[in-house]
Amino acid sequence: MTAPAAPVLPARYQVAARLMETHDTVTLDLQPVDRPIPVHQPGQFTMLYAPGVGEVPVSISGTGPGQVLVQTVRAVGAVTRALCACRPGRMIGVRGPYGTDWDVASAAGGDLLIVAGGIGLAPLRGALLAALGQRDAYRRVVVLVGARSPEELIFVRDLGEWRRRGADVELTVDRATAGWAGHVGVVTQLLRRATVDPGRTTALVCGPEIMMRLTARELLALGVPAAGVRISLERNMRCGVAECGHCQLGPLLLCRDGPVVSYPVAAPLLAVREL
Amino acid sequence: MSGVTPAELGQHAFLRGMTEHHLAVLSRACWVAPWRAGHRLFEEGGTAQRCWLLQSGQVALDLHSPGERGLIVETLGPGDLVGLSWFVPPYQWQFGATAVQDTVTFELNAIAVRAACEEDPALGYALLRRVMAAASSRLHATRVRLLDLYGGAGGGQEQP
Repeated sequence: MTAPAAPVLPARYQVAARLMETHDTVTLDLQPVDRPIPVHQPGQFTMLYAPGVGEVPVSISGTGPGQVLVQTVRAVGAVTRALCACRPGRMIGVRGPYGTDWDVASAAGGDLLIVAGGIGLAPLRGALLAALGQRDAYRRVVVLVGARSPEELIFVRDLGEWRRRGADVELTVDRATAGWAGHVGVVTQLLRRATVDPGRTTALVCGPEIMMRLTARELLALGVPAAGVRISLERNMRCGVAECGHCQLGPLLLCRDGPVVSYPVAAPLLAVREL
Repeated sequence: MSGVTPAELGQHAFLRGMTEHHLAVLSRACWVAPWRAGHRLFEEGGTAQRCWLLQSGQVALDLHSPGERGLIVETLGPGDLVGLSWFVPPYQWQFGATAVQDTVTFELNAIAVRAACEEDPALGYALLRRVMAAASSRLHATRVRLLDLYGGAGGGQEQP
């Protein structure tokens, strides 16, 4: 096999490294075996194929040397369990990248506020790294992360580096465990203390949908323009190319029109029981 | 400890919008209290005779049980009111509180503040609105935490 012949044909990637983030979440470094998938933008996702098991959408967390794709997977079902179990050397299928991106560059000149809940930090990692790569283009870069407990925080090894490169990083957990000296409470409680100028802030939010709704509501109350709030929505993405309709949310096909959606577009869809 | 002017008090997020007269009344029962990390502000079950407006730093509310380490239920930061029990009979702390960072507070004599509220219902109402807002905000946050939002898949992955 050489290059993917069509956007739905997986490319072969080999697991080059596997890092346990938490008890159920791993970050995989995926090395292309043949031609790599096209260049992605932060916020986009790929379909990862565990041979013989199935395929799932997974957001891209970054890239590494040699066109390595960095993807963080949480084991919640059969496919993600199979992906999480992949040791270095195992082959998996990758197709994409699909969907909309965070458009980090459009936040240049203002404050960038990144708000993540749980594994929602994974799709935001690439956006943060892109901003830190152009650090002088932004005023404040603030990262607020919430997790169930300290043990369920991901990318902990990166936090020092992010701070060193000019990000204000604040963490909070729902339940403190031994040794935790940080904040305890929901991530929205950190928003009021974030040192950003609301009127000049672009907020990128990813996490459980209820958390994103509450965060967006709080951001608007603080004075962040609705158009400056972007959230990442997920539904049952299957084809990735807006053909199958499984990921429909109202008028949106999220594999094409998402996952990143501006809040004014998403807001009317988030509180509807049936769409 | 040093005194606090009405103007300084009025800058605190909790009291923003309060009249100068009411700020002046409160300032007479208030002083600046800096605390080192680790300082214990109050213990569960103790009489609530003080409250604090956080200027900087962080305070953790906790619960203890014999033989077990303290459980932190919530942390509070700049702009927050530390202590609600001073406002509600029987004026007994429901949790303990510790400064987890070096912290600067405006400390208020709760007995004097309650007496001032009894004398001036308008002050009482102005404070009640703020205490209720703080309590409502914490109730809301607690409800959200009860939802255990981070237990689901999220991040574009398959559902359990």
